[in-house]
Amino acid sequence: MRNDLLGLLVVIPLATAVASVALVRRSRPQRVLGLLSLGSMLVLAVGWLSEIRDGDVLVSQMGAWPAPFGITLVFDSLSGLLLCTGLVVALGCYVHSFSVLEPETERRYFHPLVQLLMVGVNQCFLTGDLFNLFVGFEIMLMASYGLLAIGASRRQMAQAYKYLVLNLIASTVFVISAGLVYGMFGTLNLADLARIVDARVASGEGLPPGFVGVSVMLLFVFGAKGAFFPLWFWLPDTYPTCPVPVAALFSGLLTKVGVYAVARTFPLVFAVGDARDVVTPLLLVSAGITMFLGVLGAVSQHSVRRILAVHVISQVGYMVFGIALMTTAGLAGALYYMVQHMVVKSSLFLCCGVMERHAGSDDLDRLGGLLKRDRFLGIAFFVAAMSLVGLPPLSGFFGKLVLVREGWTDHWWLSVVALLTGALTLVSMLKIWTRGFWLAPVVAAEPAPAAGSGDLRGAYIGIGFLVAVAVLMGLAAEPIYDIAFHAGEQLTDPSAYIGAVDPRGLAAVPGGGG
Amino acid sequence: MTTVLAICVTVIVTVSVYLMLSRELKSIAMGVFLLGHGANLSIIAMSGSPVLPGGGLRQPPILGDGILVDALPQALILTAIVINFAVMGFFLTLLVLTARNTGTLNLDELALEDPPVASPELEPTVDGGPGGGVGR
Repeated sequence: MRNDLLGLLVVIPLATAVASVALVRRSRPQRVLGLLSLGSMLVLAVGWLSEIRDGDVLVSQMGAWPAPFGITLVFDSLSGLLLCTGLVVALGCYVHSFSVLEPETERRYFHPLVQLLMVGVNQCFLTGDLFNLFVGFEIMLMASYGLLAIGASRRQMAQAYKYLVLNLIASTVFVISAGLVYGMFGTLNLADLARIVDARVASGEGLPPGFVGVSVMLLFVFGAKGAFFPLWFWLPDTYPTCPVPVAALFSGLLTKVGVYAVARTFPLVFAVGDARDVVTPLLLVSAGITMFLGVLGAVSQHSVRRILAVHVISQVGYMVFGIALMTTAGLAGALYYMVQHMVVKSSLFLCCGVMERHAGSDDLDRLGGLLKRDRFLGIAFFVAAMSLVGLPPLSGFFGKLVLVREGWTDHWWLSVVALLTGALTLVSMLKIWTRGFWLAPVVAAEPAPAAGSGDLRGAYIGIGFLVAVAVLMGLAAEPIYDIAFHAGEQLTDPSAYIGAVDPRGLAAVPGGGG
Repeated sequence: MTTVLAICVTVIVTVSVYLMLSRELKSIAMGVFLLGHGANLSIIAMSGSPVLPGGGLRQPPILGDGILVDALPQALILTAIVINFAVMGFFLTLLVLTARNTGTLNLDELALEDPPVASPELEPTVDGGPGGGVGR
C-alpha cells in the first residue's frame, strides 16, 4: 500500500531539532516542542500500525522515484511495532528528564540531541535500503556521542572514547560491506537484493564468492552496535556514565536498532543459501554466550546501574536466539521480547535514577529501606523487574515462552540456557529488591544533594507511563503478538515485502560492475 | 585501475591499524580517520571498469560519445565523506576538551586518573556544548 507521509517520522524530529537549537537558552519552549514532536509521531505511528494489523506493508518512495533507484521507506509489521515502542520509550524518558536533569546539562543541547537521536532511530527502522540504514545509524550515533558527552565528568570522558572508536570502526566496516554488496549485485535496495539473491539461489547459479564474507562483516557491524558476544565490552562502561534519562533512552533504543538490523537484513538477504550455514551457527552460539555470560556479569555487580547495564547484554541474547532460529514463530517471539524489553528496561533505569536521588548513591550497600520512603517507586520497580524476569501474567513471560518453546525442538540446549538465564535474572533482580527496598542500608545514607528542580513529578509520570505500558503489554499480549507474528511471516516469506516495495517486479537487473 | 586502488586501500588500512594500536588518543583519531578514507577508496573500486560484462562500453546518458563508469558509488562516497567529516569534527572537539580538562591524551594516564572508589555524582567539567554533536 502506498503512503506518502512516512517521511514525516524523519522530518518532524529533524525540524524540531533545528527549532530547539534556536531556542537553546530557554528550556520550557524546548520541552513543549519536544513533547509535541514525540507525541505527534507516536499518534501517527500508532495510527499506521493499526492500519497494517492484517499484515499489510506501507511504502513511501521518496521523490516518486521507483523502488530500486530511489530512497524507499517501508512501514511493515516489524518496523511499525518497533517504531511505536521506540517512541513510547522516548516519550517516557523525555518526560522523566524534565525533573531529574540538571539545568546545566539541559542547556548543553540535550533537547536537540534527543530529537536527532529519534531522526536516526526512525530512519533505521523505516529505511528500505542498506546505505540509508548506514546513514540512519550514523545520525543516531552522532546524537548518542553528544548525549554521552553532555553529562560527562573528567573520569567519564575516557569511557566515551571506547564507545566512539568501536562504533567508528564498525561504521567503516559497514560502509565497506555496503560497497561490496553494491559491487556484487548492482543494487542496495533490500527488496531488490532479496529478489536477486533468491533468484540466483533458485536458478542454481549460486551467489558470488564473497557473499558469505560480506554477511559475516555485516554480522560484525550489527553485533558491535547491538552488543552481542564478543563485541559487548563497550556497554557496561558506557551506560553507567551518562545521566539517567539518557542511559534509559540508550538502553531502550541503541542496542535494539542493532538487533533490528540483524532481524531485517539477515532473513531477507544475508542468511540465504551458503551464508545461512555460516551465519546461523554463529548467531546461535553468540546468543547462548551473550545470554548466559551477560546475566552472570549482572549477578556479580554491586551497583544498581551496573546490574541493569550488564543485563541489557543478557537480554540481547534472547533476541538473537529468536532471530537465529529463522522460523516464523522464533522471529515473532524475538520481536515480542524486544518490544517488551525496550519498555521494561527503560523504566528500570528510570527507577534506578530515582533510587539514586533518594539514597545519594546507587551502591547496594548505601541503598535500603526505600519501600517505606517511596511506595510508588517500590511497586513500579517490582512490576518492571518481575516483567523482566518473565513471571506471568507480565509481559516478559510471553516472549520467553514463545522463544523457549520454539527453540526446544532443534536447539534444546539453548532453551535450557535461556531458562537458566531467567533464573539468574530473578536472582539479580531480587538482589536489588531486597537490598534496595526491603532491608535497612548497610552504610548509613546521607541525604542526596538536590540536583535540578526538587520536584519529582515528571520523573514519576515517566516511570508510571512506561510501567503501565509494560503491564498493558502483558495483559494485551495477543494483539501485539499477532502483529509480531505477521512480522515473522513477512521475514520468513519476503514476497509481500518485495511486492509492496517494487510492485513492477523488474525482471532484468543491471549487471554489477567490478 | 582496480589493482592500483587495491594497493592504496591496503596501505591506508595498514597504516590506520598501526595508528589505532597506539595508546595516544591523537594517533587513534588519525587512524580512525584514515580507515574511513580507505573505506571510501574501496567503494570507488566498485564503480568498476567502463567496459560492461557483455563487451560493450557504458555510454554517458546525455553527452553521447565517450565512456563512463558507474556513478552511484561516487554518490555513496559523497555521503560517507560528509558523515566522516562530521564525526571527525566531533572527535577532535572531544580531544580538545579532554586535553583541556585532564592535561593528557594518553590512555594509560587517563586510566590512572580514575579515583579508586568513584562517587556517582556527576561532576560536569565540560564547558560549552559539544558543538560537533549537532552537525551531521
